[in-house]
Amino acid sequence: MKIITLTLKKKSQIALEFDELIPDKVFNWEKADFENYQVPVGNRRFPLTDYFDIEVEGDAASPEEVKMILDGDFGRVKYIGCKMSAGEIIVNGDADLHCGAEMKGGKITVHGDAESYAGREMKGGELEIMGSTREFCGCSYIGDWRGMSGGKITLHGNAGKQLGECLSGGEIFVKGDCDILAGIHMNKGFIQIDGDVTRWPGGQMKNGNILIKGKLGILLEGFVYDSIVVDPEIDGKSFSGKYIKYNGDIAVNGKGSLYLNAEKNREYL
Amino acid sequence: MEYILKNGIVYDPANKIAGEKKDVMFKDGKIVEQVSSDAKILDVTDKIVMPAGVDPHAHVAGPKLVVGRIYRPEDSRKGVTSKTDVCRSESGFSIPSCPATGYRYSRMGYGTVTEAAMPPLEAKHTHEEITAIPNIDITPLPLFGNNWFVLQWAKEGKIDEIAAFVASWLRIVKGYGIKIVNPCGTEAWGWGGNVHGIDDPVPFFDVTAREVIRALAQANEMLGLPHSIHIHPNDLGHPGNYPTTVNSLDCVKDIAKNGSKRNQTIHLTHAQFHSYAGTSWRDVESGAKEVADYINNNKHVTCDIGQVTLDETTTMTADGPMEFDLHELNGLKWANKDIELETGSGIVPFIYSGKAPVPSFQWGVGLELFLRIKDPWQVCLTTDHPNAGPFIRYPRIISWLMSNERRQEMMDNGEVRVWSYKRTGLGTLDREYDFNEIATITRASAAKIYGYQDRGELTPGYNADIAVYDLNPNDIDPSKEPAAIEHAFGNAMYTIKDGQILVKDGEVVKVVPSHTLWTDVKGFEEQEKTVMEEVMPTFTRFYTVKFENYQVQDHFTPNPTVTEVKASK
Repeated sequence: MKIITLTLKKKSQIALEFDELIPDKVFNWEKADFENYQVPVGNRRFPLTDYFDIEVEGDAASPEEVKMILDGDFGRVKYIGCKMSAGEIIVNGDADLHCGAEMKGGKITVHGDAESYAGREMKGGELEIMGSTREFCGCSYIGDWRGMSGGKITLHGNAGKQLGECLSGGEIFVKGDCDILAGIHMNKGFIQIDGDVTRWPGGQMKNGNILIKGKLGILLEGFVYDSIVVDPEIDGKSFSGKYIKYNGDIAVNGKGSLYLNAEKNREYL
Repeated sequence: MEYILKNGIVYDPANKIAGEKKDVMFKDGKIVEQVSSDAKILDVTDKIVMPAGVDPHAHVAGPKLVVGRIYRPEDSRKGVTSKTDVCRSESGFSIPSCPATGYRYSRMGYGTVTEAAMPPLEAKHTHEEITAIPNIDITPLPLFGNNWFVLQWAKEGKIDEIAAFVASWLRIVKGYGIKIVNPCGTEAWGWGGNVHGIDDPVPFFDVTAREVIRALAQANEMLGLPHSIHIHPNDLGHPGNYPTTVNSLDCVKDIAKNGSKRNQTIHLTHAQFHSYAGTSWRDVESGAKEVADYINNNKHVTCDIGQVTLDETTTMTADGPMEFDLHELNGLKWANKDIELETGSGIVPFIYSGKAPVPSFQWGVGLELFLRIKDPWQVCLTTDHPNAGPFIRYPRIISWLMSNERRQEMMDNGEVRVWSYKRTGLGTLDREYDFNEIATITRASAAKIYGYQDRGELTPGYNADIAVYDLNPNDIDPSKEPAAIEHAFGNAMYTIKDGQILVKDGEVVKVVPSHTLWTDVKGFEEQEKTVMEEVMPTFTRFYTVKFENYQVQDHFTPNPTVTEVKASK
């Protein structure tokens, strides 16, 4: 097991980019390699040691045996764990844009908030954020119609707009609240939101499942009432309680399912 | 500066040189017969030397490209490179950035490309974009097939007026020749419809594609333009469309040619999309044999193929209704634009996957056409970039054409589905192109079809546009080594443009501004004046721009190469 610890000593105003510092690429790096490494900052590169104290302990023969601990406020460090396929990254602080984007495996834990685009186009692995995220968590690349296709995102805080946009697989679990258009354009996969939702979940969804345990502000007109289900089972998971099931979005001939907690959304009954 | 390309093996089909070991000399940007003893020697012993490539049909500049780039950022992120000492950074795969377009053509040994659909109203924009593309000369073809003035005169049989209008408009918009896209169909799209076959009249104007094609072909020959009419017929991509294609070609058969260099009076573009039999996508079959037979028997026709390359790409054409059909078919995002009084356009991303039956079928039809058309002077290699695939795949298509073994392997190992041979005749064809035929379909035939008098050949006096590929034709068996062929044709050892070395060993080493090729018709001034008097009231009434802002002023073409034509009537 190799433990790589980066402790922030100076926060850059311009974001650093960490897509080259993933277990897949650094598993065989020694301390000296990190000290010689120049990190991209805007359109230039600067020594990593300008910003971090670096410690490396142990050895790793493969990325699976790497644990990277990022201590401090990483709120200006983008692309943490981007495209990683194995190993573990723990961020003891905030993370900037694109944290866990395109990751294929391994695990990232953020003990603070993550900026927008967390888990963009994720294909596998696990992304856990103890705080909140902003917009486009688990989404597609801008313009693309192929979003997150595998893996799991767990959000202990709140999610922003367009959570799981174009979702085509995998699972997103939000323990807090969620803003508009969760699961827009999704065609597969599962989104569970424990808190409240402002409005319009599942806009233009083709397929997949969305479950909302909290209160919903406004439902889209493209969702048609199906039935009241008690203790539904979705994607092999059981949920206790009474839910209103809708099908939609009929605007795009969608076959998706939206489950709404009946107790908290009595006006929809 | 004088140079000798020494000991290369030269393929110059226009001069009937097929694999001869000889030196090619050039001086001050032109090919010459003799150079002095001071000439710099470039040793290319046993390497393939050809004229620089000429692409007869691609979409590389204009509003469609810009809309494509804006609405497909997911394409722009592919193919990103950092800047080098010589080049700017590149981006994009199917719709590369302007500099990337130039560099990538240059790396393949190309020197000239046609921008095949310039809406006259957007000509200024197209020319601005051409100035942003380095290293490759560009020939824009303005669209005339759905132009209101042309439709009206075609209805009334006024060929003189159309000829004068074309002569004026080529000068006004700085265009090279006549492009026709889905004649009457794009205008019908303005009414929410399309036309099917060449005898289906368009609403309001009540004129048919047959009348429009014939009228424009007659006008083209009346003016004696260097290129013939360049047609994308009706019913693109519809199963059962090959009779429309053959009828479109046949309807101009009786029109006499009036051009010194070319043999044809009609050029059929992306023939692959127009060679389908059957009635629907369930029972579709290849119509390549019928189209190829027609071309083999009729010398007034040339074509380019529009070969499907099995990539994710972006389709963009002035055929607005077809793009809507495509969007309905694949459900991906759709952009549409009407160009007032002139044409329209649409854009839809498309994934030509070898795992799907229809793209496999289209791949087979394209190759079948290549192999069935006997005379390489009647066919050119294109992908209708980016519609059937990006132009950077030309080397791969060359490797397919040169290797029957590779084609069979793709069909056998499932790289393409069974429709590639069960619904086409490809499985029965074992023809393999040789280097001379490749040189013909990638440069010589296109140059002849366009009537270029300064490129496409290694004739003394011609531009020193030369490509050298790191292959010894006496040493390699293209049939067995498709990967080596693809690599060599994709990474030119030298690309020389106007006597300047732009690419060395597959790397761009010099960037030069591109030229714009357009045609200036002389001797039609009186008729043009009369026609302009007739056009202006309609122009002022319906166009949202003033004529003064419509014309392309000289500063939009900082490096023009003008072909002057003396109209013979």
